[in-house]
Amino acid sequence: MSTDDVLQTFVAEARELLLGMEDSLLALERDPRDGEAISATFRAIHTIKGSAGLFSLDQLVAFAHVAETLLDLVRDGRVAVDGDLIALLLECSDYLGFLINQIAGEEVADAATQEARRPTLLARLQACIASSVAPSASQAESPRQAPPSAVPAAGEVADPVHNDAWHISLRFGPEVLKNGMDPASFLRYLGTLGEIAHITTLWQQMPAPEAMDAENCYLGFELDFRSEASREAIDSTFDFVRDDCRITLLPPRSSIDDYLKLIAEAPEGLERLGEILVASGALSQAELERALERQRQAAPPALGEMLIQEDGIPAPVVQAALEKQAKGRENRSAATRFIRVDAEKLEDLINQVGELVIAGASATLLSQRSGDTALIEAMAQVGRHVEEIRDRALSLRMVEIGESFNRFPRVVRDVSRELGKDIELVITGAETELDKTVVEKIGDPLMHLVRNSMDHGIESIEERLARGKPAQGRLSLHAYHESGSIVIEVADDGGGLKRDKILAKAMDRGLVAPGQALTDRDVFNLIFEPGFSTAEQVTNLSGRGVGMDVVRRNISALRGSIDIESQEGVGTTMRIRLPLTLAIIDGFLIQVADSAFVLPLDLVQECMELPDGERLQSRGQSSHYLDLRGEALPCLRLRNLLNLEGESSQRENVVIVQYGNRRAGLVVDRLLGEFQTVIKPLGQIFRHLRGFSGSTILGTGEVALILDVPTLVHDASGREARLLGESNAGQAIGSEQPA
Amino acid sequence: MNAPVTAAPERETEARTQCLTFQLGNELFAVGILNVREIIEYGHLTVVPMMPDSVRGVINLRGAVVPVIDLRRRFGHAPTVVGRRTCIVIVETPTAEETQVVGIMVDAVNEVLDIPDTQIEPPPAFGTHLRTDFIRGMAKMDKGFILVLDLNHVLAEDDFHALVQDSECAAA
Repeated sequence: MSTDDVLQTFVAEARELLLGMEDSLLALERDPRDGEAISATFRAIHTIKGSAGLFSLDQLVAFAHVAETLLDLVRDGRVAVDGDLIALLLECSDYLGFLINQIAGEEVADAATQEARRPTLLARLQACIASSVAPSASQAESPRQAPPSAVPAAGEVADPVHNDAWHISLRFGPEVLKNGMDPASFLRYLGTLGEIAHITTLWQQMPAPEAMDAENCYLGFELDFRSEASREAIDSTFDFVRDDCRITLLPPRSSIDDYLKLIAEAPEGLERLGEILVASGALSQAELERALERQRQAAPPALGEMLIQEDGIPAPVVQAALEKQAKGRENRSAATRFIRVDAEKLEDLINQVGELVIAGASATLLSQRSGDTALIEAMAQVGRHVEEIRDRALSLRMVEIGESFNRFPRVVRDVSRELGKDIELVITGAETELDKTVVEKIGDPLMHLVRNSMDHGIESIEERLARGKPAQGRLSLHAYHESGSIVIEVADDGGGLKRDKILAKAMDRGLVAPGQALTDRDVFNLIFEPGFSTAEQVTNLSGRGVGMDVVRRNISALRGSIDIESQEGVGTTMRIRLPLTLAIIDGFLIQVADSAFVLPLDLVQECMELPDGERLQSRGQSSHYLDLRGEALPCLRLRNLLNLEGESSQRENVVIVQYGNRRAGLVVDRLLGEFQTVIKPLGQIFRHLRGFSGSTILGTGEVALILDVPTLVHDASGREARLLGESNAGQAIGSEQPA
Repeated sequence: MNAPVTAAPERETEARTQCLTFQLGNELFAVGILNVREIIEYGHLTVVPMMPDSVRGVINLRGAVVPVIDLRRRFGHAPTVVGRRTCIVIVETPTAEETQVVGIMVDAVNEVLDIPDTQIEPPPAFGTHLRTDFIRGMAKMDKGFILVLDLNHVLAEDDFHALVQDSECAAA
């Protein structure tokens, strides 16, 4: 591994830690007494500082050190947790993020401003540190209390043992020696903090000589240690090996269940460790027997219950300890359940699966031509497996959308403070899965919509109260699956869009002809028109640099669509609809003239033959409408719409497609059936071509284009509206009937 | 034995461009060989609707979908009539984001020529019936002039963009 690789790992790790730290800080804001969150924040900073030290990133280390000092004081309860402190720490996290971006060699746009924040931040950190209160008498005695991690919030130690020394249980991980650490040196250092009263070396993990790896560490120690040092001081001895090792610190006179837990978790087995503890004087024989007796009476998972029954320890305390244990176990097993895979490898795999699907289609086609039943059957079986492999491969790249929702609590918090509004963010459906590539690209448009809703959607507190709404605004992010797409809603309970104002503006700009009848949705969609988002407009975006047209373009680039629902005075919902994946879809193959096209199967509702009467009537027009069981269904004749020439078939078919709540019919010549469609991008030349979202390769080796139905319909209706507007047809008919 | 030895240093001092020459009608054109990936026979093509007719369609080039440009049409002549020697030259042009792979349809492919840079002259202001930015230079060869094309301009995607909009307006 070159230094570069290691640095990359550091950057990735540091970013993860900062993200985690942000989460903890936000958790802390909700509950300032959350000890776990404080520790997590401290650990994040501490680890970043430590790793940065390895790379001599002095700037980063120096800054992290100050932040760490403050967090240490916070952890000791000597600096109170309040909004300002959290705001300060969040800013520090931002600044650290900036430093890390710089280390990663990324271009940072506002490097100078970021750098200018450093002195201010440092000064504020120092001020907080200076404000710390001296440790109070009760805190000075903290080593005598039960460790908060073992029995949180326990006022006094339940059932203490009669041992006035610390008990330290150490199990070095096998990697310790390889990582350049010498177990003996920790013991030596410990000796400088106090007196090691008793030590038992545990060598039972040592395998037989032939199986032993001289580079692995197999040792463990049980220590009894007399010291006046604080828990932190003793604990910090092991900072360098914490990740690899199992370290348990029991303060003097810990409760017996702490020991019990230690015994229960020991890899050596109950009896063995128990004996060691007695031998070392940590426990008296009587105490051990009391503990083991209880252990035996209860089934292992009922350890906690047993404690409640016998010791009268308050149930919540034990519950908390148990939850903690469970969480620890989960974390450990999670580490083994996941493996990190290079995104490129996955990409490769999916491309290969794509090729397999195409090759499979062509083999199937050949088998069908041969007329050999056995072969056809065999190919059908292969096809099924290919389909399954395709789904599995694609699911590998599926991630929960929560990943991109994660940054919003922070954004909402910051922006609402900035705007002086009180906004609550509600996230639902964060576990909805979609393709990683989509997740990455949807972040920015979402951010834009969220900021937009906060800025222009939700009213100021006074305005809200005046309208009889609760002072606290509500912004919700909601994700769910719907017919092969994922839908993400950004909804606010703000003022809503003002239809009249938008319409007036659109007429002003010549986007809408006077007298044109538009549905609400058509009007709202106008705000996505390029150049529409200028000053004094309904959703004022001035100063942001990007408008809603960019949002729509980004979403279209992902083959998605966006719709707005809004009610003046009640709120606005932006609904983004995205395909689950950008790689392979289930398609429906159709033929128009001599060309084959693919429709995403999820859009297809039903197919029917075009009635003869309709056929004659509609010939030559690119759009018309059809009576579908009493409903006027707008139809597009693809042959005319796409200017395709070629033999027309005697019977035409209508494919009825639905997306969102719109329905339309597509008139085609032939229906060719389902087809696994591997999406191939169209070249740069076609970048501005509308109506096609990509291409695919058929079993015959020919290329077929994938129709972008929403755009086709949207453009067709827009064109018709324009034409009608131009011809000044007094009462134009809306080209689309909402379904 | 002497001839190659004396010729070699001359070759080194004099900058040369290796070009693939091809025919459109009776005119000879050349593109830098470094841009050429391969030459394939004219085969089945899928028409892309709503594109200008200088974009003939797309082909499946071993799993990649590659657009094919009708060069004659791009130069403002009548569309190419497919004949026995019609070929598609697959060329690569680097753009800001990625390498663009495009097929260009030609009437016939001739040969690979080593053209000394000294023999390449700037194009005349008019008279070539081509946009001057399409031409990198005119190579003076024994058989007459060969127009060396500037593929970056010939295949500039923004031009096709404009054409897309034109055709959309026409359709509307």
